Amino acid sequence: MGPIKIEPAKALDEALTTQRKLATALKTLREMDEVDFGVTEKEAVYREDKLVVYRFRGEHPPTAKVPILIVYALVNRPYMVDLQDDRSLVKNLLAKGEDVYLIDWGYPDGADRWLTLDDYINGYIARSVDAVARRAGVKKINLLGICQGGAFSLCFSAMHPDKVKNLITMVTPVDFRTPDNMLSNWVQSMDVDLFVDTLGNVPADLMNLCYLMLKPVRLNQQKYIGLVDILDDKVEMENFLRMEKWIFDSPDQAGEAFRQFLKDFYQGNKLINGGLKIGPHEVHLGNITMPVLNVYAEQDHLVPPAASRVLGEHVGTDDYTPIAFRGGHIGIYVSGRAQREVPAAIHDWLAQRSR
Amino acid sequence: MGESPFSDWMNQWQALSRQYLGALQETAQAGAGTVPPAAPSPWQGGFEQWSRLAGAGAGQGETIDRLIDSAKSYAAFMQSMLGAAPAQAGAAPWADLLKSGFAGSVAGGNPFAAASAMPSWQGAQQGLAPWMNALSAMRAPPKFDTSELKAWMDLPAFGLLREHQEHYQKTALAWVDYQEQNGKYNALMLKAAKRGFELFEGKLTERELPGRQIESLRALYDLWVDAAEEGYSEIALSAEFREVYGALVNAQMRLRSQIQKEVERVATDLGMPTRSEINSIGERLQALRREVRERRATADDGLADEVAALRAEFAAFKAGTRATRPAPAATTPKPKPKVVPRDAAALVVAPKPAHARREKPATRKKTARAKPPERAVAAVAAGNFASRIAKFANASLGSTRAGSRRAGKDEQRGNRKKKR
Repeated sequence: MGPIKIEPAKALDEALTTQRKLATALKTLREMDEVDFGVTEKEAVYREDKLVVYRFRGEHPPTAKVPILIVYALVNRPYMVDLQDDRSLVKNLLAKGEDVYLIDWGYPDGADRWLTLDDYINGYIARSVDAVARRAGVKKINLLGICQGGAFSLCFSAMHPDKVKNLITMVTPVDFRTPDNMLSNWVQSMDVDLFVDTLGNVPADLMNLCYLMLKPVRLNQQKYIGLVDILDDKVEMENFLRMEKWIFDSPDQAGEAFRQFLKDFYQGNKLINGGLKIGPHEVHLGNITMPVLNVYAEQDHLVPPAASRVLGEHVGTDDYTPIAFRGGHIGIYVSGRAQREVPAAIHDWLAQRSR
Repeated sequence: MGESPFSDWMNQWQALSRQYLGALQETAQAGAGTVPPAAPSPWQGGFEQWSRLAGAGAGQGETIDRLIDSAKSYAAFMQSMLGAAPAQAGAAPWADLLKSGFAGSVAGGNPFAAASAMPSWQGAQQGLAPWMNALSAMRAPPKFDTSELKAWMDLPAFGLLREHQEHYQKTALAWVDYQEQNGKYNALMLKAAKRGFELFEGKLTERELPGRQIESLRALYDLWVDAAEEGYSEIALSAEFREVYGALVNAQMRLRSQIQKEVERVATDLGMPTRSEINSIGERLQALRREVRERRATADDGLADEVAALRAEFAAFKAGTRATRPAPAATTPKPKPKVVPRDAAALVVAPKPAHARREKPATRKKTARAKPPERAVAAVAAGNFASRIAKFANASLGSTRAGSRRAGKDEQRGNRKKKR
């Protein structure tokens, strides 16, 4: 018996259905408006260079006394946390009474080429934290770092533990050299100095291409074949295009910060091996003595779970809580399960520590 | 001799294909009022027809292009599978069929060929395209031994234009090296594709069991994608790939760097600013900003320390003053000083005693408010320690003249102590 049992009539039906869906797609796509994103009302509370710190407004005033500042990665736009009405980490946190702020890094250009990690972490993040704390009338705030922003938040919390009440990390790489980390494997033999000296700021297109090459057939082809299934559904198409916009709406990377991130984090793995210096400060994860919640995704192809899980072995706190989420790097913000599970987990964990 | 099951299948298939074309034409006519021209393959031809129709409309062009590209690949896959479907029994012939399908539809039979590790010169680096095209003309034939070319390019240069000649030689060498590294990378991609086909065969074998057979083209395609990704992943996580990828990126950067230098030379000749110059300015500007911030932070820190020290000493001074001051007569009550705020900044704006306030109350208040608190302290705090203490005392206790006199005496006393 052969492995394939495809009836001719069924095969033809598949082909015809595909063609009909394509025909509908022309109509659907022409009728579609420009996709929007970022659904929650917000106000700018601090600005510096291209950075803006926003405070989100929920339907009710926050009940939490200590605000949360979300520190997103530099490599994508932060509106992923507030993508659309039914896919918003921010909205769900606000609904639970949290007071939510977010750092929007903006789009670096040539003028930002020389920004270092010290400028980002001990400069921008530190001043944003101060601004949020001042506004909330507290000495310490809660920090929620996402992906690369999580690594930055770890560094900040280790260097300035007096400013962070609780630290939450989401899909955050800690061990940058686990065997299943494809990105890490690719950069180990790269001459990073030559790379940055040549490119200056690292172009977003190049970054995106690298991410696509992590799963080349799935992300370059299969995804778009799957799109045929939803071509006649306007709402689903809007969701798809909104996500597509987010994926490719990426900022360039400031050259010097990129240089240090690749050399010290990816190549040197100094966050756990030691020897990491950000500006005048040495970073020791053992100095992280505040409570830590570490949320990672079990099917994460960008930050493998093993890269995140090790955090508990390195932080100095006794109050460490890991949460494994069943999903991928993006699903942790936008999947239906994520909407139910992640904000609730964060809120409950914070509530237990504010008593 | 009766008809084989294969012939039955083929007859059915051909009849259905004709129906398919008919249905396709009807759909197209209904959608756009045009009739699709005859296509070499009904499957791919259908997608091309939609691609042309989409191109005629405005907007969403890239979305459609991407969609159509993927759909065409999928169509090629479907066609290669269905074209000889009934003749295949086991897993191995299906895997071979897929290989031959890709051989005809994608470069070198490599499904990863379309996905490059680095953006193409013409795509991402449009400005450099002419240089790259010029260098492409130098591309050596596949079997060409580049060692001789490299040896020539390594010869020392002489004379007035030696620097230029050396630069061009280096650029040519960088190009040869880039080509070599690119070849190694593509070979690894092909290896990944082959591994994917092997895994696909294995996955198909698992589906030979009754009840596990694949019943739709999409399921077959998804199975192949799983296998292709697994094969690619094995290669992309290997130490060999790490070295080859790193060498490719480094080679491309060396070549880009050489070309950038040439562009800069031309820009300089034309009197245009160069990237290096802008980088220098940016670097200096950022260093300057850091220095300003650092100085401001240091100044703030120093000021805070000074204020803290002054506050402590002032408290001690006040306590000492209270201890030595004679009790005031009951008939001549002095105005009670306001509570001294803890904040040093507030010391500066503390209200003056009544007689002082009468002079120019509005102006004084305004002046004190207009200054930043910390800087206002710095301004008041000029002079030696004793006089600064006196000024703070004046501000809060309201005994301007007496305080000054006391301070003066204290200072003299202190000096005398020093002399001893």
